Amino acid sequence: MEARMKRQTDYGYEIKPVYTPEDIADIDYAKDIGDPGLYPYVRGYYPNGYRNRVWTRRMTAGLGSSKRTNEILKQYREMGQTQGILVICDRPNAMPIDADHPIGRREAGVLGWHGASLLEFEELMDGIPLTGQSITLLGSSAMSCMRLAYVVALAEKRGIDFTEVHGSVTEYPFCSTFGQTDHMPLDLLIKLWMDSSEFIVRNKIHMRCGILSQHFQESGGNNAQALAVEIAQLKELLGLLVNERGLHFDDLALLPYELVSIGSRFFEEIAKVRALRRMYAKMAKETFKAKNEKACQLLISIHTSGRTMTYQQPLNNIARCAIQTLAGAIAGCTAIDNACLDNAHAEPSAFAARMSLNTQHIVSDETGVTDVTDPLAGSYFVEYLTNRIESEAYKILQEIENQGGMTAAVKKGYIHNMMEESARKRQKEIESGERLVVGVNELVIPPEEDDDIPIQSVEASDSEKIAKRMEQWRKTRNIPLLKEKIEQVHADAKKGRNFNLMPSIIEAVKAYGTAGEIMGVIRMANGFHYDPLEMIECPFDL
Amino acid sequence: MNTGKKIKVLISVVGLDGHFTGAEIVSSFLMDVGMEVVYLGIYQTPEMIVNAAIEESVDVIGISSHASNYEQIGLILDLMKKNDLTDIPLICGGTIPKRDAEALLKRGVSKIFPPQSSSESIVDYIISCVKR
Repeated sequence: MEARMKRQTDYGYEIKPVYTPEDIADIDYAKDIGDPGLYPYVRGYYPNGYRNRVWTRRMTAGLGSSKRTNEILKQYREMGQTQGILVICDRPNAMPIDADHPIGRREAGVLGWHGASLLEFEELMDGIPLTGQSITLLGSSAMSCMRLAYVVALAEKRGIDFTEVHGSVTEYPFCSTFGQTDHMPLDLLIKLWMDSSEFIVRNKIHMRCGILSQHFQESGGNNAQALAVEIAQLKELLGLLVNERGLHFDDLALLPYELVSIGSRFFEEIAKVRALRRMYAKMAKETFKAKNEKACQLLISIHTSGRTMTYQQPLNNIARCAIQTLAGAIAGCTAIDNACLDNAHAEPSAFAARMSLNTQHIVSDETGVTDVTDPLAGSYFVEYLTNRIESEAYKILQEIENQGGMTAAVKKGYIHNMMEESARKRQKEIESGERLVVGVNELVIPPEEDDDIPIQSVEASDSEKIAKRMEQWRKTRNIPLLKEKIEQVHADAKKGRNFNLMPSIIEAVKAYGTAGEIMGVIRMANGFHYDPLEMIECPFDL
Repeated sequence: MNTGKKIKVLISVVGLDGHFTGAEIVSSFLMDVGMEVVYLGIYQTPEMIVNAAIEESVDVIGISSHASNYEQIGLILDLMKKNDLTDIPLICGGTIPKRDAEALLKRGVSKIFPPQSSSESIVDYIISCVKR
């Protein structure tokens, strides 16, 4: 077996048996690496590393009704997750359609929380503080404006200044290409993304926007491609805010955050994150002429890789998760959330969630990894790999630029093809035994002897309950007020690409407009059907 | 394969699930071994899938699922019964927990391939189904 094993990075670079000073002879430490806290930030942004603040150790939640997700969040808090919450939205909400839509009712609460209205957000956050911890809501790009409006509305209800809430509730428009599917046309997604981003920046809200490589990589992309795609996305999107919305790049410093997928290729994963910091810093200075040092520092969070979690012998995933968490910690990051041992089976069970949180605490509190900043700096191998992945990524970035930039490359199918080809290659490598995966093509055991683990699930009846509740609740709203606010959204949505819809969306959300309704009338104003699945008609006379 | 006629397989993701990678990889290796693939992609309702199976008169239906509510697959089975398609095997792949997998098999799914299944096992199974 071992004889066939590939000695290559996941992007195809043949690894040598040993690395020496010669491999990094052309590096000028001060110019190319620099101390932690100094440009180009290969070694991170803080001289003291984790001594000032350990990364946020958190778990994804979201399943079934808002009340059930709220209970899970409270359970996580008891397990020691106090720095921040992380909630993922369900499939209908991603589209977005409402729970009582004929298709929505089949899948409400599936794979996440059904965040279709302010009511659901109020129930989700019941008894959970909005400030003092980071509030992160993951979901489709289309819903970004809505999620931001929920935060603004709930903060107001609780008498909190909304600019004091920190975390992230908005996401980049390209995620619809990478499996985080919504049914909005890309150009409309980009417009809405600019609206929420501009609102955040102009109001100085401490909210980040996820511009991520994680979805791309988890859908099949390799490490070098992930870096290239991330930089291409940032360049395109931040460029739009500068050019179309007239924002200064230096004021965008606190907007983007990146979620890096960390797999099991230990040294490569660390090199990837180090190279990413340098690539972003260079882009900020060279392309966008950043003057503010903060604007050269991309906030980096880490998600340990779901696609490396095997269905077979799921307890093995605890070991994978630990290795990946350690890599993420060494690479340097602001937060980590883990894929759980049951990732290939179901949503995290309480058992799996506890294992993941404990794994993070074992890494942070027992290994000594938080003592020293960027401890692998100076390693011939790691410094070489950092340069190597960066130059590979620049080549791919150039190809994306040749397509006309990220939006054009997505529209031409270029990014999708890159991702699919890479996923196919990986499948072939595993099948040929060039890449070994324990429990899958090595040390395999019969299925009947496999580990028994608790499984968390959602029943069809749970989805139906969420749908029925919404159907009945809908009628209890102040309809004239709602109608007035929805009409305003519709009218504003006709005012062109650069007319910001956030103010009218916030008003409609406060009047308990739903995702289907608010996004529906925005769709109509842009010449599309109210319902992305074209099954129901707009209930408002517009 | 030594059969004269190409085996025709419908591959689809069901419901609002957006995880297409598995379905695309399976489609590509089925084509590599000479099968004909009708790839529907994402956002397919059970009704759309069964209608396409009838129109294209496929030999096998393959559903990729990454969601946590498997009722959609049950709905496909119901519609297949209604349309006298019970001779067409319905195979599924994806993150389907054991308990749900057992329930689906009882209900009429022919075979469930868990994540990390080899392309060989899937190809062999499809060939054996069609021969029968």
